[in-house]
Amino acid sequence: MIRLAFRNLFQNKARLAISVGGVALALLLILSLDAVFTGVERQITAYIEYSDADVWVSQAGVLNMHMASSSLPDSVARKVRAVPGVASVTPILYLTNNVVYEDERNLAYIIGLPESAEMGGPWKVSSGRSLPGKSEAIIDRTIAEKAGIKMGDEVEILGEEFEVTGLSEGTASLVNSVAFISMDDFEDLRGNYGTFSFLLVKVLEGESPELVAARIQAQVRDVTVQTREGFARQERRVVQDMSTDVVTIMNLIGFLIGLAVMALTVYTSTLSRRREYGMLKALGARNTDLYLTVLAQAILSVILGFLVGLVLTLLLTVVVPIFGSNLALEVSRASLLKVASVSVVIAAVSAMLPIRQIAGLDPAMVFRGR
Amino acid sequence: MTNVSQVQDETLQIAHVTKRYGAGSTEVTAVHDVSLSVSPGEIVLIMGPSGSGKTTLLSMLGALLKPTEGTIQLNGTMISALEENRLPDIRLKQFGFIFQDFNLLSALTALENVAIVGELAGAKSGEAKRKAASLLTELGLGERLNFPPEKLSGGEKQRVAIARALVNDPRLILADEPTANLDSKIGHEIMRLLRNIAKEQGRSVVIVSHDQRIKDIADRVLWLEDGEFKETVTMAIDPVCGMSVEREKAVSLESEGQDYYFCAQGCRDEFKNKLKSAL
Repeated sequence: MIRLAFRNLFQNKARLAISVGGVALALLLILSLDAVFTGVERQITAYIEYSDADVWVSQAGVLNMHMASSSLPDSVARKVRAVPGVASVTPILYLTNNVVYEDERNLAYIIGLPESAEMGGPWKVSSGRSLPGKSEAIIDRTIAEKAGIKMGDEVEILGEEFEVTGLSEGTASLVNSVAFISMDDFEDLRGNYGTFSFLLVKVLEGESPELVAARIQAQVRDVTVQTREGFARQERRVVQDMSTDVVTIMNLIGFLIGLAVMALTVYTSTLSRRREYGMLKALGARNTDLYLTVLAQAILSVILGFLVGLVLTLLLTVVVPIFGSNLALEVSRASLLKVASVSVVIAAVSAMLPIRQIAGLDPAMVFRGR
Repeated sequence: MTNVSQVQDETLQIAHVTKRYGAGSTEVTAVHDVSLSVSPGEIVLIMGPSGSGKTTLLSMLGALLKPTEGTIQLNGTMISALEENRLPDIRLKQFGFIFQDFNLLSALTALENVAIVGELAGAKSGEAKRKAASLLTELGLGERLNFPPEKLSGGEKQRVAIARALVNDPRLILADEPTANLDSKIGHEIMRLLRNIAKEQGRSVVIVSHDQRIKDIADRVLWLEDGEFKETVTMAIDPVCGMSVEREKAVSLESEGQDYYFCAQGCRDEFKNKLKSAL
């Protein structure tokens, strides 16, 4: 009966194309949206992931960077340095602001770095300096290209002019980029001295970041201490919380489109073969044999739709960056699992109505010329 | 009630079968108190006007419809008393169906159309295909095994349907207007084929048809009207010219305890002379 399902499916190529295409587009919607959010999550946490810090220390209760503000007195840095297992501490200042060039404004995490920062600077520099000096800024290369900014040009950050002396790689996302200036400039612009936003901690070789983080948390008051992974996880959670409704709605739309297309094509396919199913029933095929045929048709269509949708999504992940967009799509295992589950549900639900139709077929119809 | 001859070792035996649809003022009796026995190798043709109850009777014979009253017995099994869920297996293994519109699965090849019925009955795919190929080759379709139905002529389609009907070695073949969509030459070929199957393999064949020409291959012709058998015609073959004749209307001759039937006096005389010269 599986052979029959396969042949039925491929006999009407136009119907197959509609059902597979419809399901593929619906699943593409879900997959690509997931891929966008996975990509954005990765981009947004790139600074944390590449910071080279094992542990992040922030103001008590501050769990992440995005849309958050943290302030730590400089005494905290001294206390943290004294905790056993800590190899080095790099304080940074942080604000969300814009990199402005002529009429172009780009939202950016502005990072203020100490003169000889061991951590927290740009992790890949395509040209120029890797640490900013006085009145200097290092900005993302793709942002610079998009805005027409060249090395040596002046950009406005926090209301002041900075000379672009370095271009970094991998520091831009769909949402924002990361720009680096010196800590002295940052303090001058804020008019606030002796405080830091975050402390980036490197632990001694052989030490566990979790244990050192726990020690800092126990020994230093009014701080929140997290490992790099924990801090990045909190950052991702913020993005997820912000996008949950959008993702849910789009997933639901994708699911409903896929279901509608699939249900319609499986139903019309079964309807057009009503007489054949009736004949098989008359010959002695059991209802379960026929249900299996319809279900197999739906599952085969959905598998094909899923594969086409996946190929299209993977193509998008390659094509989108070629067009210079900061949008990085990434297909995650969780997303694949979710879409595969959605596909199974689509196949099962779309086969239900035709199965009911077959159940009600009178096999004697074959003798009545219906 | 119409009582038709009872034969020992009948393949099919139906007794006092009635089928009523609806109830009260809307009740319609489609078949009324019909009895019939079909012997192994016998070909029974059921004829009658439209609405006479032929389709209802055929559906009941094929275990597709339960009679309101009466019993249907197939190879000793009372199929009219079986639970609904046992009937598909009976239909699959005990009956071969041949339909007016061939009813082949359009997406499958000739070979697959036959093999699928074997597979439904539990045969392994390879075994079912081997048997299907053998049957189709016997029926002259060895070169058409992998043709889809749309590439086959009407006669070829009906031969595929016959192979499909035979694949599970049924004792009874039920044919619904098997020549209706065939020209007369092909229709005649198909009928000869069915006769050979009945006579050589001992399978019983019940045919429902309007086609008078089928009388030639039938052993018995039953006329169904208003849900009842009104007339029974027993057919015989003229031993001289080979023509099929109705016994009741034919010229007959008895010789050494055996009855012979002829289309005309001339054939009878010729036969008589042959008998004399043989003595």
